Amino acid sequence: MQFMAWLEASALGHAMRDTGVWTYAVVNLSHILGVATLFGSILVLDLRLLGVWRQIPLGYLSKPLVTMAASGFTLAVITGAGLLATKATEYVGNPFLYIKFPAIALGLVNVLLIHRSAPWKAHRTRELSSQEQSQLARMGGTSLACWLTAISAGRMIGYW
Amino acid sequence: MSKQILVACGAVALALVPLAASAHHGWGGQSDQVTEMTGTVVDTVRLAGPHATMKINADGHVWDITLAPPARTSSAGLKDGAIPVGQTVTVRGNRNRDMNKFEMKTVQVRWGDKKFDVY
Repeated sequence: MQFMAWLEASALGHAMRDTGVWTYAVVNLSHILGVATLFGSILVLDLRLLGVWRQIPLGYLSKPLVTMAASGFTLAVITGAGLLATKATEYVGNPFLYIKFPAIALGLVNVLLIHRSAPWKAHRTRELSSQEQSQLARMGGTSLACWLTAISAGRMIGYW
Repeated sequence: MSKQILVACGAVALALVPLAASAHHGWGGQSDQVTEMTGTVVDTVRLAGPHATMKINADGHVWDITLAPPARTSSAGLKDGAIPVGQTVTVRGNRNRDMNKFEMKTVQVRWGDKKFDVY
């Protein structure tokens, strides 16, 4: 609650409220573009980790997809902070918020685990064993679950 | 294996559809009946967020008056801070179906001889 009050009173909160009637709409649009970029990329990557399109080498896909996912995530975080700051205190007690942010946190921990894993570090330089592939598949499945949960809960915030 | 995964993803997506349809961002959570009430402004018109808002005190309850999105509310003549606190207004709209929620999606605000048709 204290954090939300601080966020609402912040310069970001004031800017969101006092810079014209289209501000919220445009920031909301940018948030959707960020989420679409993030999820569009991560969906393809996670399905590949889960074994779809196995004929395409993972090394061909990982660089562009991770770059786009990270760009989308960054845009979504910046614009999301603005949307939340507009009337932050009104979201206190919104149950979907308490699903969304832990799901994002888990998703980020999972990103860290994937990037630190031996098969991910090796995937551009050699064939992965089937054991390594299933390790990546498990983390890809976790990723999909985290981001689907975060996006679903995020969309529901406005309907509470 | 891969086909099963695609089918599973499709099933999850479909399962989420009714959630979206039952939600209240639209008018689904509002009463079908259009009603009017008169009260005193306790928080002026604010053109911030997804919908413009104001608060009025009517029948001893503070009502959240949900107006149109900011741009549309503004072009209906209701600017930020348009109606000062303490003024008497009459609002017309659909109240929240939940009788414990004092919230009305408002189509018209009347103040003195002024009339604002936001929807």
